[in-house]
Amino acid sequence: MKSLIIGEVSNGSLSSGTLEIITKLKEDNLDFILIAIGSEDSPKIGNDSFESTYFKLNPNELSLSVVADKISEKIKENSVELVLASSTYVGRDISGFLSVDLNSSPVSNVVDFTITDSILTTTNSIDGGESEYLTNVTSEVKILIIRPKSFEATDIEFDENYTTSDVQKNELSVEVNDIFVEEKTGPQLEDSKIVISAGRGMVDVDNLKYVEELATKLNAAVGGTRAIVDAGWMPYSQQVGQTGKTVKPDVYIACGISGATQHQVGMKDSKYIIAINKDEEAPIFQIADLGVVGDTLSIIPKLVENL
Amino acid sequence: MKIAVCAKQIPDPANTVTYEVGTIVRPDEQVLDDTDRYGIEVALQLKEKFDAEVTVISMGKLGTQKGIQQALQMGADKALVIEDDKLQNSNSLMTSNVLSGLAKLAEADIVIFGTESSDGYSGVVPQQVSRYLGLPCISYVKGIDINEETVLTRQTMTGSEKVVMPSQCVISVTASGVEPRYPNFKDIMAAKSKEVEQIDLSAIEFTAKHNQEFKEINSLSSNKSGEKYIDEGDAFNLIIEKLKEIKAI
Repeated sequence: MKSLIIGEVSNGSLSSGTLEIITKLKEDNLDFILIAIGSEDSPKIGNDSFESTYFKLNPNELSLSVVADKISEKIKENSVELVLASSTYVGRDISGFLSVDLNSSPVSNVVDFTITDSILTTTNSIDGGESEYLTNVTSEVKILIIRPKSFEATDIEFDENYTTSDVQKNELSVEVNDIFVEEKTGPQLEDSKIVISAGRGMVDVDNLKYVEELATKLNAAVGGTRAIVDAGWMPYSQQVGQTGKTVKPDVYIACGISGATQHQVGMKDSKYIIAINKDEEAPIFQIADLGVVGDTLSIIPKLVENL
Repeated sequence: MKIAVCAKQIPDPANTVTYEVGTIVRPDEQVLDDTDRYGIEVALQLKEKFDAEVTVISMGKLGTQKGIQQALQMGADKALVIEDDKLQNSNSLMTSNVLSGLAKLAEADIVIFGTESSDGYSGVVPQQVSRYLGLPCISYVKGIDINEETVLTRQTMTGSEKVVMPSQCVISVTASGVEPRYPNFKDIMAAKSKEVEQIDLSAIEFTAKHNQEFKEINSLSSNKSGEKYIDEGDAFNLIIEKLKEIKAI
């Protein structure tokens, strides 16, 4: 099944989500073309074993619809049957645009897929990961939006041998006036071996300092639930859950998090889960390896002091 | 200025979702998806500044129309809705095809959505609608500043960016930035006399198709409930011990 990967560039190379998809396709011996999208100069995205094209965006324009036009052409020219993107902002925007061009609804939140006798079967995780949902995709071109961390990425060497295409604006482009890059210190949420997350049980935004102190002690990344991100306590980039990031650290410490399915989806595959919550009935305890029923606000400072 | 804003009726999230042959069972009484309140709030703020007309658009099982009423109670002017057996178990493309048709019928300049519904989570409908309508798409808007011109702040993977809202576009709004309003008694009464027009599917150029065949649902019940410990002031010791045991520290 001829495939095409919609990849993304970050910090000079391909994003982890893109690498995960490449690894999966290589394992399944699928022939694919890589499209990489980014705004950086000369990232390393080329490899002898597949064709790579880099669509370089002007950061001062929203022009993903122009990129989608070009990818649609490429799909038709190469008789591509399977299109894969990561479940990120760019991946979702592009998949949405392509689906209209190809009259093929994308399958979202895919965590696995198999091809048997030319039949593509996708697996979705539903009910906060309590159940898996399998469907056969029947359209001529199949578009899958893959949840990050669904596959393990292996090390692949990349070079600078690929075609670059500068994306020109068109009548649907929108000018960007002001770009703000969040400063990040400490380990990244997706890659950190330890993640400490905060929920409503932290009571007040000022109490997040305890979580941050603990994170510093453990060299951990800090995450949060949708509730506290919506409340403005933390930027969206730190949200863990269905509509945020998926993490699979060695240790996940949930502080004052009740464990709504929306949150569990993003962290349930962590190797060891420690949950601290006042409410003995909180659903988070159902998936915790160690559940501590108690006041997060008194336990965390003691932890920090004694580590 | 004319605005179309999407309102999805979903099963009350306070109840357990049930599935039948892989489809969410939709009760007669469904509520307004919380995610859509943010889009509706943005639409209403634009209405107040530019004297715009706000039309709620919705598709799917209508039932008691509670969710549609909730959208009208917030302050939208009217609603255009479609229910048709052919739309049962719609995928995202069928949904956006129909919603694009409704946005056209509403003669909308600006079409507003939440970023993704709380029951389906496909997260691609706003982008698809922009493509159907041939309009610019400004996704993941987390802030709006309405002055002479309207400045939208977009969430990006690395931070945020600002754009001036074009005179015609599709916007998706994240659940932050604006505080959805609560209707008072007067708003609730006023909504009852607002028009909810049912449109026939044949009024729309409908080309999207089903493309997923349900195969199976498997339960992965992950109830791995480990140790539970009631803190008596010394739980920190246990946590430190465990972290050492699993060699995290």
